[in-house]
Amino acid sequence: MLLTLALRNLWRNRRRSLLTLSAMVASSALLILALGVFSGMFADMLASGTEQYHGHMVISARGYQEDRDLFRTFAPSDINLQTLEARPEILAAAPRLRSFGLISHRTQSEPAELLGIDPGREARVTTLSQKLQKGEPLHAEDQTGALIGSGLARKLGIDIGGELVILTQAADGSIGNDLLTVRGIFASGDRHQDNALVLVQLGWLRQLLVLPNAQHEIALRLGEPLLAAPLADTLATSLPAGFEVLDWGDLLPQMRDAIAAYDVSRLIMVGVLYLATGLGILNTFFMSVLERIREFGLLMSLGVRPWQIRLLVLTEALLMGLFSLLIGVSSGLLLTWYMAQVGVDLSDYISPISYAGGTILPRLHAVFIFDNFFIPALLLLLISLLAAFLPANRAAKLHPATALREG
Amino acid sequence: MDDLRLAWKNLWRNRRRTLITLAAIAVSITLMQAAHNLSFGVYASMIDRGVRAGSGHLSIYRQGYLQDRDPKLGFNPQNLAAEISRLAGVESVLPRLYLPGLAQSSRDSRGILLTGTAPVEEYRINPFLRKLPATQMIREGNLRDALVGQRLFEELKLSFGGKFVVTLQGQEGELASELLRVRGIFTSGIKDIDRSLVLVDQHRAATMRGRPQQIHELAIILKPQADERWLLDQIGRLLKNHPQLILVGWQEAMANLADAIRLDYAAQKFIFLIIILIVTIGVINTLLMSVMERIPEFGVILALGAPSWRLQRMLLTEALLLGVIGMLLGSFGGSLATWYLRIEGLDLRYFVSSSLEFGGVVFDPIMRADWDLRWMLKMAFYVCGLALLAAWYPARKAGKISPAGAMRHY
Amino acid sequence: MALIELSGIEKIYPLGHQQVQAVQQLDLRIDKGEFTVLAGPSGSGKTTILNLIGALDRPTAGEITVAGVALNRVSSRQLADFRLRKIGFIFQAYNLIPVLTAAENAEFPLMLQGIDKKIRRRKVIELFAELGIAGLENRRPLDLSGGQQQRVAVARSLVAEPAVILADEPTANLDSQRSADLLNLMQRLNQDKGLTFVFSSHDPQVIQCARRVVSLLDGRLLTDQQVQQCTI
Repeated sequence: MLLTLALRNLWRNRRRSLLTLSAMVASSALLILALGVFSGMFADMLASGTEQYHGHMVISARGYQEDRDLFRTFAPSDINLQTLEARPEILAAAPRLRSFGLISHRTQSEPAELLGIDPGREARVTTLSQKLQKGEPLHAEDQTGALIGSGLARKLGIDIGGELVILTQAADGSIGNDLLTVRGIFASGDRHQDNALVLVQLGWLRQLLVLPNAQHEIALRLGEPLLAAPLADTLATSLPAGFEVLDWGDLLPQMRDAIAAYDVSRLIMVGVLYLATGLGILNTFFMSVLERIREFGLLMSLGVRPWQIRLLVLTEALLMGLFSLLIGVSSGLLLTWYMAQVGVDLSDYISPISYAGGTILPRLHAVFIFDNFFIPALLLLLISLLAAFLPANRAAKLHPATALREG
Repeated sequence: MDDLRLAWKNLWRNRRRTLITLAAIAVSITLMQAAHNLSFGVYASMIDRGVRAGSGHLSIYRQGYLQDRDPKLGFNPQNLAAEISRLAGVESVLPRLYLPGLAQSSRDSRGILLTGTAPVEEYRINPFLRKLPATQMIREGNLRDALVGQRLFEELKLSFGGKFVVTLQGQEGELASELLRVRGIFTSGIKDIDRSLVLVDQHRAATMRGRPQQIHELAIILKPQADERWLLDQIGRLLKNHPQLILVGWQEAMANLADAIRLDYAAQKFIFLIIILIVTIGVINTLLMSVMERIPEFGVILALGAPSWRLQRMLLTEALLLGVIGMLLGSFGGSLATWYLRIEGLDLRYFVSSSLEFGGVVFDPIMRADWDLRWMLKMAFYVCGLALLAAWYPARKAGKISPAGAMRHY
Repeated sequence: MALIELSGIEKIYPLGHQQVQAVQQLDLRIDKGEFTVLAGPSGSGKTTILNLIGALDRPTAGEITVAGVALNRVSSRQLADFRLRKIGFIFQAYNLIPVLTAAENAEFPLMLQGIDKKIRRRKVIELFAELGIAGLENRRPLDLSGGQQQRVAVARSLVAEPAVILADEPTANLDSQRSADLLNLMQRLNQDKGLTFVFSSHDPQVIQCARRVVSLLDGRLLTDQQVQQCTI
């Protein structure tokens, strides 16, 4: 009965109800879209920092990540990769060795980081060695192959099959000097990776650096990157002394802060938008209540109690909220889906942007995150009820006799 | 004038409704102004710091240098630096060389960017060197003094006054090594820079490169109120004698920063658009309600002989008045917020523990707003225009009223 | 040439899905200075005819000329202007604009004409004095008694010095005393100033006081009689 009354009342002044509804739908749908795209940007940023190069988590000798000391190595036997991968949260583990040197091709030279990898394992942890612009990934037998970034390739004027001269300082103090052939070129969008990184075979680098049986870190890929921090603590206790586990938040503290800041600003956005929407709902419901003073008086004289009148108005608000939520969220879903599948390519207008240690690519897209739908939906309902609270009160406080006289 | 008086009276017919609508308009404008002016201030300070450490507000390069920053594309600035410094609005002209190379200590080696500078001016201008004691700054002349980034210092296990070797490629393609001494260390807050930047005197760098007179970049730093357009023109004239040189703005030389700011503004604009949409729908609703309840009265006014457009003009005046009052209230609030945020600022250090980098420049942890008057005026304009637009549908409804039919409802 | 001439007038209204013939084949002539009432039960078409004379509506067929203007042939804009300058309305419920003061209400037609504030204010003060409501200029309609409101409405109808004053059921909301007051007032204006009045009414009090009674039934003219004027 209450429901029927509420529905009919909303329908009575269709135009007004529809206008208010449209505001509510617009605010929720567009908000959901915006949140989806922003989350997409942050996902890109996180991926660029972690999935391409760092991995979600890294195990190394204590202090190594701070200064990348060449001599802080450990042996493969110190930490068993199979045991790591046996854990359900860890999808894959890859060993690495790192050094810095001068890379030359013909008459061009550039400084670069040399990362020695196990191509098979690395491919399961990071994407850089697989997502190639040109050429092919490294095969296990190809000891003198190298993958370089597109920026570096351009600066050196080198292409697939070209020869690289490597110059670096070995562990015994001698100058390490060798030749590599470019097998593939990658383009990640990240400035450092594209302009100053060379991926080489782990075995080859060990030889060059005179560091037999050594590695600097084990990079890990996780199933739930956002839960990396607690996992790092757990993992640390199972490792031998002298080792530390760092999650991407430790490696990239800026990014962790940026993402936390985004979560806060997300709530602020929702708050501001819904404040404006709420004021509109307030107006509508005041009008609707004032128009019906006589009618409420009639209902009261028939025996309807004040709390029931209040409930009636609140039900109308709730119905509007539910309705707009349905339409708003589905529209938001559709828009997000479109942006996730198709997206918007702004490469002509902007270059990749570095933020908090990661890169935001100009190809904007959305990602589906439950909170981005749940929070706007929940708050929309809340604000509908809140906004109708005062008018509902007004209606409930009416004096039947006075009300009947009015209107 | 009469229309204005009538519109004012009609606006206050339903005080609560008008006040709520005004509140919606005003609060939205206050928030948008505060948010925008805050980012405006933050970006202005970021740009200033960025250009001082980087390419300058305006920069001069050899044609083609900006494509790949090929160290081979240098130029001899001759008197340009001195001539440009004399122009009004120019604070400083910094010569720079950028040479990628390898730094080696007894312990380790790292890829670095050897940057040749004019020590006195650089010390004065570059924000990276703000905390550096004067005694640690590199000295002028072709000396072995070098400033290294904090992280590089630690990673190479260097010491103050300690030696390290820098190897780089000369103009002819041969590799050259030089011994340098650590004179001081600096911290920029950006990991990549603190890991790879080494500052030396420009003459040392040029000699290492094999072209003693050449540099890569003239970074022109402007004073706050400088007339950029005039300067572009003047410097353009000076460059007529140097046909192989080009003048670019920081937006081109530091595209990372420029694009980062653009993206953020775009996101901001999108959110603002949604807010404005919501508020406009609210205004349409309010105006519509006020029209519908006055239909019999409109009938009377039409009966008395007012032409239909007169009635519509009345409504547009009401809408405009609503928009203007809301805009004024909102701007007042926004100005208060901006004023507060300019003096006190927003201290990010409560929320963010590390220094945050955006577009290649570090965020000042204390965010300060600044007055973007042009934007505020544009916003005011738009709001008033939108208020008028919002009246379109209600006015159309009013225009369709026939006096006889309307009065029958009385 | 009569002040008001209707010939062959027909008016058909759409009402939901039906068509209603409000007025059928009407001829009527009213001269300057007359005090005429259109009498009849509701649905007789009297309000419709008044609306036609007042250029609030257009006839479906026929010719109508008021004060020399052929109303069935001019544009809506010209009709509005005609109403402004040539017609004074007194409505059933006083139809005063609640947000305006009494004086602002009365001077409204002059404001629409764009006449200077001082001039129109002077005119209104004069009229208020004549009509016995001097001093009430700055009161809002809510603060006026029924009788005072009606006089403000009369002042508004006179302020532009129209050719004819039309009153639609002017006494419908009044008690007998107020009705008498209003009729007296209008008679006085008619006699002293020679203003032409056309009423529509089914109130016997009004019908008794008119000098000419045009009786209508179902949109047709029944009788058209000159009557002995009454004094109340």
